[in-house]
Amino acid sequence: MTLRRSPLDGAHRALGAKLVPFGGWDMPLAYPAGTLAEHRACRTGAVVFDVSHLGTVRATGGDALDALQAAFTNDLHKIGPGQAQYTHLLDDDGSVLDDIIVWWVDESDFHVMPNASNTDRVTAVVPGDDVTASRAILAVQGPDARARLAAVSADAAAVPRFAVRRVDVLGADCVVAGTGYTGEDGVEIAVPAAAAVDVWQAVLDAAVVPAGLGARDTLRLEAGLPLHGHELGPGITPLQAGLSWVVAWGKGEFRGRAALEAERERGVSRRLRGLEVDGRQPPRAGYPVLSGDEVIGEVTSGNFSPTLERGIALAFVPPTVDIGDTVAVDARGKPMPARIVKTPFVSRPAT
Amino acid sequence: MNVPDDRRYTNDHEWARADDAGRVRVGITDYAQDALGDVVFVQLPEVGATVAAGGSLGEVESTKSVSDIYAPISGVVAEINAELVDAPQRLNDDPYGDGWICVIEAADAAALDGLLDAAAYSALIAD
Repeated sequence: MTLRRSPLDGAHRALGAKLVPFGGWDMPLAYPAGTLAEHRACRTGAVVFDVSHLGTVRATGGDALDALQAAFTNDLHKIGPGQAQYTHLLDDDGSVLDDIIVWWVDESDFHVMPNASNTDRVTAVVPGDDVTASRAILAVQGPDARARLAAVSADAAAVPRFAVRRVDVLGADCVVAGTGYTGEDGVEIAVPAAAAVDVWQAVLDAAVVPAGLGARDTLRLEAGLPLHGHELGPGITPLQAGLSWVVAWGKGEFRGRAALEAERERGVSRRLRGLEVDGRQPPRAGYPVLSGDEVIGEVTSGNFSPTLERGIALAFVPPTVDIGDTVAVDARGKPMPARIVKTPFVSRPAT
Repeated sequence: MNVPDDRRYTNDHEWARADDAGRVRVGITDYAQDALGDVVFVQLPEVGATVAAGGSLGEVESTKSVSDIYAPISGVVAEINAELVDAPQRLNDDPYGDGWICVIEAADAAALDGLLDAAAYSALIAD
């Protein structure tokens, strides 16, 4: 299969990025500074990710709202035009087929953004056009993201958290949302493909550091955010993943509702929890979680936390396992003591 | 990619350099550290452990993967670079110097001659 390339592909190569296949796309894993430096830049300054591999399905017209309400778990009536919402697309058994951000751009204009490889699952249930190839998406994130982006576009920098605005950026018609996947403040900018390189370069010129998928993963892990294919996917429901707030029980029918209600009734069989080890060794996806000699769960994502300078992980464990409990992670035959902790592992200071 | 010609190399991207006393210092190559990305954890062997050429010597973990380190030569581990426990990034910063992993008291230091020289290793990583 040929890998798809972002409109910014040439810019990444010129910067010396290492590119890797991700969800059918060839995307930057890291730039020469490396994952740890990019991670720290996002926690202390500002970085920009090319996230053009996220899909965009544009649903327009009078029927769009009803179609989205029937397809997804969250309730768009909690928000309105000019706002963004995190939601799930479920299978009939309650499994999370995809986790999605909906940008409600105008009255009857929705940009539905699934994960890279799941765009077809969305177009199967939502009447809309796949406009992924027409734009790039830049995620500008970090405590200084807005201040530095203001040098490029004051309007883009001022889009509030979870708001969505049409903004002219350097003469290009962009859509900007106060969303992200790092646990930091920031915005995501959908730029027409033809203007992508100019906007990217202007952002870099504003002292924003390019960051790749490696840092994106360690940042989202520290923020306790799920990644589809790890914390969400076949056999995993929003309730098991601790994301019941994504399910709007009061709104009426949506796909997977019956299965989810049944699970809520009988209680979940496992629950996603954060765990922390003492040393630097990363617990990895697939490592068993132990209580004594007994396997009680499995790590879904784990890595070295550059902020905490120790190994952290998300793992499914029985619902009886609680914050503060001691468990162990079986690292290829060697048990590592671990503690169940609250997520996010790292939160930004209250402002 | 830097491949100094004062030492020998394995197909698994370790380097080995003998001193006059027949002790062999071991590490991973510049190519290996670049492929791994940022190293965050090193599992070192224990001093006194007997290792066989091609057998496991330890593990290197980066933000993206876990890789085994293999012994380039048979012998007994005489020294380890304990600095790597708290500063594993030395493997990235200076793989042929401060990022050394251990010293092996070789059973037969002449066995190093069977490993790749710099030219052969350069050819290997050029493929």
